[in-house]
Amino acid sequence: MSDQPGVGTLGQSMPAVSASCPTRSLWQLELLATLSRRRALLIKMGFPLLLVIPLAATGAPQFFAGMLLTILIAMVGTVGTGVSVTRSRGAGWLDRLAVLPLPAWRISLEIFIAGWLVDCVQATVIFAVLEVAQRPDPIVILSTWLLALATLAFSGAIGLGVATLTDNAGEAMLFLAVILAPLLFLSGLFTGVPGEGVRYWVAQVLPFSYLTDGFQLVLHGNPPSGTPAAFLIAGSVFLIVSLAACAALGRPLMTRGA
Amino acid sequence: MLRAEQLLRRFRNGRGVGPVDLELREGEILALVGPNGSGKTTLLRCLATRSRPQQGSIRWFGDSAPARVRSRLGVVFDATAHADELSAKANLGFFASVKGVPSNDAGPLLVAAELAEVADEPVTSYSYGMRRRLLLAEALLGNPELMLLDEPTVGLDVSGQRWIGAVLEERAHNGAAVCISTNDTEFVEAVATRVCFLMDGKVVRDAPLPDLLSSLGGTREIRLSCRGALPIQAMEAVSGVEGVAPIEGGVVVLARQRDGLLAELLSTLGGLDRSLVDLSVREPGLADCFLKLTGRTLHE
Repeated sequence: MSDQPGVGTLGQSMPAVSASCPTRSLWQLELLATLSRRRALLIKMGFPLLLVIPLAATGAPQFFAGMLLTILIAMVGTVGTGVSVTRSRGAGWLDRLAVLPLPAWRISLEIFIAGWLVDCVQATVIFAVLEVAQRPDPIVILSTWLLALATLAFSGAIGLGVATLTDNAGEAMLFLAVILAPLLFLSGLFTGVPGEGVRYWVAQVLPFSYLTDGFQLVLHGNPPSGTPAAFLIAGSVFLIVSLAACAALGRPLMTRGA
Repeated sequence: MLRAEQLLRRFRNGRGVGPVDLELREGEILALVGPNGSGKTTLLRCLATRSRPQQGSIRWFGDSAPARVRSRLGVVFDATAHADELSAKANLGFFASVKGVPSNDAGPLLVAAELAEVADEPVTSYSYGMRRRLLLAEALLGNPELMLLDEPTVGLDVSGQRWIGAVLEERAHNGAAVCISTNDTEFVEAVATRVCFLMDGKVVRDAPLPDLLSSLGGTREIRLSCRGALPIQAMEAVSGVEGVAPIEGGVVVLARQRDGLLAELLSTLGGLDRSLVDLSVREPGLADCFLKLTGRTLHE
């Protein structure tokens, strides 16, 4: 078959493609792909406004506003990562990545980071509205914003964990609801955190409890606990733990369905 | 270049592959051929480092660590997943970068894959065949020493099939080893140097292509279409018949060429009062070889 058309062209010169191609690594490719979905991106960036503008503009009770905004951040992180990674596996994309000379932890981390960066922009939109509407103390909003980014990372790690359990995006949504609902409850979002006991200690190791306090501070409320310094420290710890978890999830993520 | 020993990978339903022994040397184009569910894809996924065997071992270039050999492999699976919103250039650029291949290598591949004109358009706008071409181009990046391709001709038009056939031959000629999993016997007959027939996860026959085809010397494939059920047992009893297998609307008969063979077969039908709809006789091919070996067709 070597006399067929096409073979001779292999050696011919053509302008280099990668000179104009910025996708040198997986996270860049994933990020560019996400940014190229303009309509989906517009909806993603716009829909938090439907929640945050009424909450910020109408003086909603700080406890409920903080709870809703925390749930929003949690949902953005978990659903975004969990469903998109599950769909990637279903489409065979993870199969393709698995046979490249890339370690599993790096694939997992890079996919996660690309999604997280977009989620961070989405969260920043929320904080921009809060800054304009509430004029909080700059230290408070800055520390809460950083805590929100860490919470997105924590939620994304949960989403990635769920993607190791199922190949079906619908099932991933169910898993996420089953995992997230008790975590939000234990974080005291619905009832507050008791001053002692198991629930108190569980709330201390979940970012959602800190974030809901942070949002309440931003909205000039009086949360039972939490200071900007505590938010910064907690945010840093949660961010590091989340990144480590995402890297550790690489192997189960890439071996599922193999 | 590639050696699998007692490789076993079975699923809960019993399907899968193994235990099998397989060796692939440089310059060879090995075709894994078998009906659906025979274990071709499972075997190829193991050889491509995607699936881990439950038992046995695989060595690539003498190395048993998949992570160390992946940069030397070119792999195509059945899925055409890409970063769909991005262009062929961007996708190829990514794969080139990860494989450590100079970005200049991507350009000629886009031309050869007949994608140069649409290289800046998002992959979402591509047809299935164009996506398959892009997959193949990505797998060819960096002149991999070992290529493993699942159904390489699926979705390709005639020129695409010729292109990939020619490229595989060229790579093998330059010392690469190629393993394809396919039921496209025409393609296999055109490019393969060796064929490994699989059935129910086991290797039925592993031999050079010319040996397999020459084993059919003097044999003819006779396809008969009749109304109603066909008397397979009666046909098998005809002298010279080596195999009979049902196909849609009829049977395919593999028989040694001799005078009076057709008349006897037809009389068998006539005697049973069957009405013949169609009859064709042709030189046998790889599919007939499989039929002769297993008594089953490749497309069951």
